[in-house]
Amino acid sequence: MAYLRLISQRLVMTVLTLWGLATLVFIMIKLIPGDEAQVAAGPGANPEQVASVAKRLGLDLPVLQQYLNFLLRMLRGDLGTSVVSSKPVLTELAAVLPSTIELMIFASIIGTLIAFPMALVAASYRGKAFDGIARIVAVTGGAMPAFWLALMLQFFFGNVWRITPISGQHSFGIASPNVTGMPTLDALLAGDIPAFLDALAYLILPAFVFAIPFAAQVFRLLRASLLGVLASDMMLPVRAKGASTSRMVLRHALPNSLLPTVSLMGVLVGGMVGGAILVETVFARRGVGSFLANSVALKDTYAVLGAVMFVGIAVCLVNLVADIITLMLDPRIRGTQFGAGAK
Amino acid sequence: MGVDTILTDGIIPAPVRRRPEALLQVEQLSIDIATRDANVRLVDNVSFGIGRGERVALVGESGSGKSVTAQALMRLNSRVKLSGRVNFDGKDLLSLSPSQMAAMRGQRMGMVFQDPMSSLDPLMTIGDQVAETLRIRGISKRNARQRALDVLDELKVERAAERLDSFPHEFSGGMRQRVVLAMALVGEPDLLIADEPTTALDVRVQERVLDLLDEISRRRSLAVLLITHDMGIVAGFADRVMVMYSGRIVEENEATLLFAEPQHPYTRGLLEAVPRADVTVDRLRSIPGAPPVPAARPSGCTFHPRCDRAMAICSSVEPGEAITPSGARVRCHLYGAG
Amino acid sequence: MTLVLPTASPRRKANFTAYELTVFGVVAALFLLALIGPMIAPADIYTSNMLETLFPPSAEHWLGTDDQGRDIFWRLIAGSQLSLFATVLVVILYSIIGMIVATLATVGPRWVDELLMRVTDIGLSLPGLVVSLGIATVLGPSLQSGIIALALTGWPMTARILRTTMRQTMEQPFVEGARILGVSRTRLMLKHVLPNSLDVLIVKWAGDISFTMLILAGLSFIGVGAQPPSPEWGAMISGARGNMSIAWWAVAAPGAAIVINAVAFALLADILQVRRDPSLRA
Repeated sequence: MAYLRLISQRLVMTVLTLWGLATLVFIMIKLIPGDEAQVAAGPGANPEQVASVAKRLGLDLPVLQQYLNFLLRMLRGDLGTSVVSSKPVLTELAAVLPSTIELMIFASIIGTLIAFPMALVAASYRGKAFDGIARIVAVTGGAMPAFWLALMLQFFFGNVWRITPISGQHSFGIASPNVTGMPTLDALLAGDIPAFLDALAYLILPAFVFAIPFAAQVFRLLRASLLGVLASDMMLPVRAKGASTSRMVLRHALPNSLLPTVSLMGVLVGGMVGGAILVETVFARRGVGSFLANSVALKDTYAVLGAVMFVGIAVCLVNLVADIITLMLDPRIRGTQFGAGAK
Repeated sequence: MGVDTILTDGIIPAPVRRRPEALLQVEQLSIDIATRDANVRLVDNVSFGIGRGERVALVGESGSGKSVTAQALMRLNSRVKLSGRVNFDGKDLLSLSPSQMAAMRGQRMGMVFQDPMSSLDPLMTIGDQVAETLRIRGISKRNARQRALDVLDELKVERAAERLDSFPHEFSGGMRQRVVLAMALVGEPDLLIADEPTTALDVRVQERVLDLLDEISRRRSLAVLLITHDMGIVAGFADRVMVMYSGRIVEENEATLLFAEPQHPYTRGLLEAVPRADVTVDRLRSIPGAPPVPAARPSGCTFHPRCDRAMAICSSVEPGEAITPSGARVRCHLYGAG
Repeated sequence: MTLVLPTASPRRKANFTAYELTVFGVVAALFLLALIGPMIAPADIYTSNMLETLFPPSAEHWLGTDDQGRDIFWRLIAGSQLSLFATVLVVILYSIIGMIVATLATVGPRWVDELLMRVTDIGLSLPGLVVSLGIATVLGPSLQSGIIALALTGWPMTARILRTTMRQTMEQPFVEGARILGVSRTRLMLKHVLPNSLDVLIVKWAGDISFTMLILAGLSFIGVGAQPPSPEWGAMISGARGNMSIAWWAVAAPGAAIVINAVAFALLADILQVRRDPSLRA
């Protein structure tokens, strides 16, 4: 049952992490300069409103009691209320989350499609010209500020060359009915191919902005990992069987490198949520990131902290899923679960 | 030159002996590795042959160059530079293209490595790993699987059919070594190179694996080159023994003769380090000192600093190859008499 | 401040390739530029000149001018001190926090170690940029807030790596020897174990500077870091964004400056890493 034990360990760690994050957010709320009730009620609130907010948040209670109440509110999914829209932060975030997920999925696919072939070729021809160039490209790709890349791509592809749309998620008037909140998926559900292609065109640049640093990191880890496996004792017998380099790389080095790579991809996808703050803003896309950026701009501190909590939860869940996938990929752990084979 | 010894200098091949038809003929093989600072010679001008179905042991301490030699025969290590000739069944392996060489591996010559724990891919089933040699040659999945099963049966892996789909971590050390053997044998090669195949195993398992190898080699008339540091496992297995020291073969003879009349002081030292049932000794003797590193070999005979019979000449002149009355090819001034 | 390069030691000089020396040279030049940048830049880069706004690159203004008519090239030079030194400061600050945590975890009783490492794990799994954004928002937008926010979120990886290394160093014979000689535990940590464990951090620092520079610029871009009219590069991009369609170079140039720095430090990290672990060599 090593498998279940490892998964439950990960679960416990995730819960602990979320508790740590909630504590951090609570401390930040307490550290906000000025009267908390005034901040929570918004700069324009009158004294009665402030008083009612103070009562609702239980600000007259001891700090420890407030902390426990805060944790209980988090458990109920109450991430606070936006001062600007007077709506619960969770409701607002839930509405824009699918759009961010769509972007992240698309970016991961593009990034994987770039990184894997590059790493496989580079590792097969270690030290050759392609390997050298790919490494330099990866270092450069990983060292570009996402928001700047977004601005430059948007300007040249959208404004100057007019290949892609500049910003938004779909052209005026051809949006499909909102079912999932993901424009591409909605278009497909409606069977509207032109709308799908339209949404895809809007998606491509922001997805590339995420895909480039993603691919750079995945490339570097995968290449190093492939080379590590290729240099291990395991490969001599494979070579002695008469295997070609491509077979050694694809059949042996790649599966063995997949475990660390999937873990890293999980971390990177989690990191994309942070990057979304910058990129969604530049491309004026609906999403968790642009919600956060807007809240910062409007000085809606409660919304910012609620969104920080929300993103933290999302990142922890992505990491958890990546960990579980990693565990499932490893027959040494999977085997004990299904009890296959002899002792 | 003494009447009873013939001195050759290594360039003249040793006289042809009554030996099975030659399968492998290694001539003047040298192996170099380029380091940051210099070129280091790991193996220096080694010549030997292996006949069809013959079992030859290559013995030496770690660092003597025996594993490097073994890998060179299959051109497994691409970081070293090989020179000389390696004739296998009429083909010079060193002049083959990489893909021609790959075609030889697995099918004409198989290899087994030291550590069965790290020799297997942890993420691939046993069946797939054994069948891989055949799959590379385009044999159908079904046939390859059947032949993998046959080899595992031949190697006495119990319940082999059920275990084809198991992963290496589900096997014990001895069972893994059988799987590694099966991977090398499934392509029905003419030569099996076994690099310390039993070192990582405990003594009882060691014997079982060697017995299996013995049996299969006879049944298939498979030539075996056994690489080991342990004279103890050589005795019952090999037809002929070569002793390697610091990148050179210092003595070679029929196994029975070598054990009965070891000529080179190093060979004697190795034999004295083996516990024997028929001789009672107070303690196991081992050769004092450590073998030299290839980058800093002593002058003259490289063994002289550790040799209990070293003479003045040994530190300055490199001994040539001599043939003694017992039939040994030996590199030692005791026999060179030059 | 001068950067002491490994090349200063003649014993090892012959071992560096031309490529490695080039990267060292570029990094040294970037440090030097950051040091003297504000001194060599003309004074008018902080003042508006409404007659020369948004000029394209020319012989007079190599990278053109921004919306206030200020020379972009000289603002980049002047801003390199803010951008690079703020980044280095962040890395120094969180390295200190990491060192303190790792040292406490190593010398302290078992429960302290457990507690600190769990906290470290939690810190590692939180999204750094997002939490920094939260902290910087609470502190009020400024470069200082950005620096503090990143220092508070950046330390866990350092603490984790350093603790592992320190544990290994503790088991080495010379530490055992010192302990037998009666060297006190604190002295042992500070004088022997910590210094001998630091070389793993040196490799990490170069990569950290590269990465932190990107995040710090990102915070400025969102508006919680450096504020206009500061010539900090992220803030410069943020300020020039509105006029991108007529003066794209005002956005391109500061970004390129960030890329040059980030790439130089990333390449330095790569070189140092390969030097530590030659098996990674191509």
